[in-house]
Amino acid sequence: MSEFLGFRRPNGDVGIRNHLLILSGTVYANGVCERVADTIHGAVPITHANGRCQVAPDLRVTRRFLAGTAMNPNVGAVVIIDHFKEEGMTAEDLADDIAPTGKPIATVNIRGDGGFISAVDKATRYAQDFARQISLQAREAAPMSQILFGTECGTSDTTSGLASNPANGLAGELLIAQGGRMLMAECTEWMGCENWLTDKAANPAIAEAILAGVQHMEARALASGEDIRGSQPTGDNMAGGLTTIEEKSMGAVKKIGDSPIIEYLEIAEAPSKTEPGNYVMYGPGMGAESISSMAAAGCQVLTFCTGGGHTSNHPIMPTIKVTGNRQSFELMRDTVDVDVSGVFTGDITLAEGGQIVYDEVERVCNGYLTKSEALRDNNSFAIHRVGPSI
Amino acid sequence: MKGSQMKKVFVVYATDNVGTAVLEPIRAGDHVGCNGERSDLEVIALDEIAYGHKIALMDIAQGDTVLKYGLSIGSATRDIKEGEHVHAHNVESNRGRGDLSERSAVTAE
Repeated sequence: MSEFLGFRRPNGDVGIRNHLLILSGTVYANGVCERVADTIHGAVPITHANGRCQVAPDLRVTRRFLAGTAMNPNVGAVVIIDHFKEEGMTAEDLADDIAPTGKPIATVNIRGDGGFISAVDKATRYAQDFARQISLQAREAAPMSQILFGTECGTSDTTSGLASNPANGLAGELLIAQGGRMLMAECTEWMGCENWLTDKAANPAIAEAILAGVQHMEARALASGEDIRGSQPTGDNMAGGLTTIEEKSMGAVKKIGDSPIIEYLEIAEAPSKTEPGNYVMYGPGMGAESISSMAAAGCQVLTFCTGGGHTSNHPIMPTIKVTGNRQSFELMRDTVDVDVSGVFTGDITLAEGGQIVYDEVERVCNGYLTKSEALRDNNSFAIHRVGPSI
Repeated sequence: MKGSQMKKVFVVYATDNVGTAVLEPIRAGDHVGCNGERSDLEVIALDEIAYGHKIALMDIAQGDTVLKYGLSIGSATRDIKEGEHVHAHNVESNRGRGDLSERSAVTAE
């Protein structure tokens, strides 16, 4: 059983990074968060457009995204800043959600603490203390079974379904063989190959939930006037050689391997089980929302399979870009981490491609920076909305 | 025909009956071999196969399953000859069809 060196949390979770999070409770606290993070070494601001004037079910999802991001094992300590008292979403509510992890948490309220300048002052002092406190923590050995490995695909092309995605699925199987768990979201992409997924469901309730999840996403799109099933594969897909919806979807879902699906999760919901295997989550294909939902569910690391070369990177969950398109790799050499295009030329087998992806995941778990981390291009925190602004 | 003169398609899974042109475009009459799986197979292209498009690696009878990734990507709507272009003109989906809801498609299997 292989090990990695990570940061152990009081609740037993093990992170692969030790971030100090400056978490904005509402859109109107974003400015203070950014000012604090500018000052403090290694601080990561999490800012967003939500937290005010949302219907209750939508606000609950937002709260799950925000609290879940702070609960992620990659976060060592959290300073939460809000500006007023939003019913059901105060800084204290978020702190209550995060508290079971045992990590240091501080809250600052812009109004209660005397305005912007005082709030920045107070939050910056908390942040300085926390930054120094977590800097004392050393990496220690932990089994790879502690890893929840998220996976995503975006700007897919012909090479995606043939190389990067199936190689990634094999990498997932290598982690699962070590006792780890793999998580896939993007249920819009399950459309047309639901049966491939339901066949893997560990029990009938999971199979039902998978079908219901796809139908729900389809119904949402239809309500806005878009028939997403009837329009698949798109004209571009057909011109590119994709013949049927199942061919397109299969290329996408092959980014997980053949292991059983242990649990179906609602968006941004953490798994309740620890059994090795695949986990699936309801959510949109939109990359930033999807990977943010996986970070909120507790994924420490994510592979992002891309044909065209994607720039997506989550602020606290290292995002490893994998491509099967040599041209994209050359063009985006500063952004795309792993090239498995050698499977087409016969230089490597798909199994070797899977090993290459797995090895990169293991290195990143041990602290190796992804290309986008080194660039601090933390562009992909986004919250999925399930209701209108009111 | 051997080695560098032979054009290559990519085959994802050993049981697949189609390959995908990803390395180079293929013209009718070209000798085509397989990278990935099925390196034992060699076919002569009957049609032009553009980048990203599929070629039949063996005869596929009308109604038979077209396999890619080792999985069904649809059914042949007519007999397809080894070396033919495989696409919407000779394959149809068993999934996103108005006359076959997803639930009935799943339970039918």
